[in-house]
Order: sequence, then C-alpha cells, then structure tokens
Amino acid sequence: MMLHSKTAHDYLVPAIVFALAALFIYAGAEKISEPLQFADTIAAFAILPAVAINLLAAGLPIFEVGSGLLLLVPRIRRIGALAVVLISMVFFSALLSALVRGLVLDCGCFGTGPPSRPRMWLELGSDVLFFSGALFVYFRLLRSDSNASISASGFPSSMERTMLR
Amino acid sequence: MIANPHPKLLSQPNRIARRVALDLSGVFLIALISLAAGLLINRFSARPLPLVYQTPEQRFDAELTSLVTAPPLALPPAPTIRLSEFRAAVENKSALILDARPAQFFIQGHVPGALNLARDDFAHDYRNLSGALKAASDKPIIVYCSGGVCHDSRLVANALITLGFTNVSVFTGGWEAWSAAALPVSRGASDDAP
Repeated sequence: MMLHSKTAHDYLVPAIVFALAALFIYAGAEKISEPLQFADTIAAFAILPAVAINLLAAGLPIFEVGSGLLLLVPRIRRIGALAVVLISMVFFSALLSALVRGLVLDCGCFGTGPPSRPRMWLELGSDVLFFSGALFVYFRLLRSDSNASISASGFPSSMERTMLR
Repeated sequence: MIANPHPKLLSQPNRIARRVALDLSGVFLIALISLAAGLLINRFSARPLPLVYQTPEQRFDAELTSLVTAPPLALPPAPTIRLSEFRAAVENKSALILDARPAQFFIQGHVPGALNLARDDFAHDYRNLSGALKAASDKPIIVYCSGGVCHDSRLVANALITLGFTNVSVFTGGWEAWSAAALPVSRGASDDAP
C-alpha cells in the first residue's frame, strides 16, 4: 500500500481558507461592536442613499462573520469562498471609486481609524489579495467537488442528483 | 453506437454552471439571513441605529433638541434672579444675556446685548452661538423668555447646564417685566455681544 505524501500545494487551500476565515470573522466582529461608526464610514463613501446606509451597517458585519464561519465548515465552504469573493469585489469597487473621486476617508475594513489615502491604497491591495485567494479556493473546491461527484458506480452523488433533477 | 445511459445528466460545463448558480443562491440566502439578524441585533442594542441614516451633525442637532423638549415639570429648579440684578448685569455687561424666545419675537424687540438662543430652534442657534458661548465662558449666563408662565428660559438654562455651563441662571420676569419697566430695547436680528 502506497501512502500519499502531502506537498506544500496540498496545504495551500486550507491555509488560505483559515486565513480568510480569521480575517473576515475579525473584521465583521469589529464592525458589529461599532455600528454607528461603521454607518458613518459607509456614508463617507457617498455612494449609497441614506435609507440604505444603516441597513448595510446592520447586515454587512454579520454577513462577513457568516462568510468566515462558512469557510470553516467543509460541506459548505464553497459558499463561504464565493461570499468572500463578492464582498471583496464590493469593497474594492467602493474604495476604487472613492480614490478616483479624490476622497480621503477611513476604509472601515478592520474597525475605524483616521482617514488616510495611503491606507486606502493599502486596503485596495488587500482586497485584491482577498479576492484572488477566495477565487482560487472557490475554483479549487468547485473542481474537486465536480471530480468527486461521479461515484465509482458512474452515478453522481445523491446531492448532485437532487440538484440536477 | 452506444446510447447515453443517463440522458438526464448534464455535461461537465453545465454541471459547473449549475453549481455556481446554486452557490450564488446560497450566498444570497446568507445575505438575507445576515440582514435579518443584523436588524434584530440592532433592535435590541443599547443604542440602536435608526432605519434611515443621520449624519453626525443631524445626530448632534437631535441630541441638542432633545435637551430642550423635556416637560417643564421634570426640570430641577434653576437659579433665578430678579429684575434689579438682571438690569445691573445688562448695564455692566457682566453677564452673557440669552433670549430664549422664538426669533420673530427677538427681532421685534429684545434686551440690549442679548443673543437669541431660541428654545424652538435650539440646535441651530446653539451651533451658531457656540463661538460666543465659548468666548464668554468665564461670565455668568442669564436666560430670559417672555416672562410669566413661559418655560423656554428654564429649558434653555437646563440644556446649557447639561452641556457643561456652570454659572447659568434664569430671569423669570422675562421680556414682560423688562418692557413694563420701560427699560432700553434693541431691535433686529443681531446685536452686539456684551
């Protein structure tokens, strides 16, 4: 019997998953504790109308924590990865739009801080990293799940069958 | 030619597309649950967010306004002064005199040197007068309104005490007593600060 020895590549996906999960749970928890400051941060981007700001301030932190937690559950990890992809895209677009418009503000990504343009560029870079990492994880999981879905008998897994009906 | 034993099964690209669609539905569901949970947490938090966002300036105004909308009976007794003391303070310019009546009454006539800090537009006037109030922080502050049963001066005095001004008193005779004594009167929206 041959034992399969794990390579560094095999540890890459779990490492990214746990790093993203930790970051998003931390970022969400920081915002949950300071909803008013987070609402002010969202307002500073001058993108959303007043009626949408507090809804986002109430819902987004929970969504971030939820996405982080989903990443930690193997069966639904893919949904967590896709959620992180989408959140990173939203953060990236908002930050880029603010930078293009010449705004100097606090990104509010990991709690509140002083408004700073260099920090905005740094956060923009972080969003690209989060996006790339989550997208990589998502496609790896998607590919491995697709390969695993056809069982030895030639039939898809029960979950897949249900999905394809 | 061998027939497809599983005609209902989709090809690999279609299966992936279906999986992505299913994952997107999952994300959408999580987003909805997060929004509901966030609103629920907000509902029971100590300082819940209002449904519509207010800027920090709007929140400050709302807090200032709330200071002068307390029912008069709930107010603690504010220090009061008589006409003679008030008149001396006005003539010596030894105190900051504040008129708590609405702006239209202030324009028609007010005590010389008084500034209009109207109870009914407190937040706006307070922000406008913040410089004068700071500059005169070492002076006593005397607030008056129409006189008689008017509560505006007490409400404004109480709000100022809450905001950190310590030497605040109320001239209860108010405009009624001042004008009845045929004392000097200033007219218009602005006046020289004491």
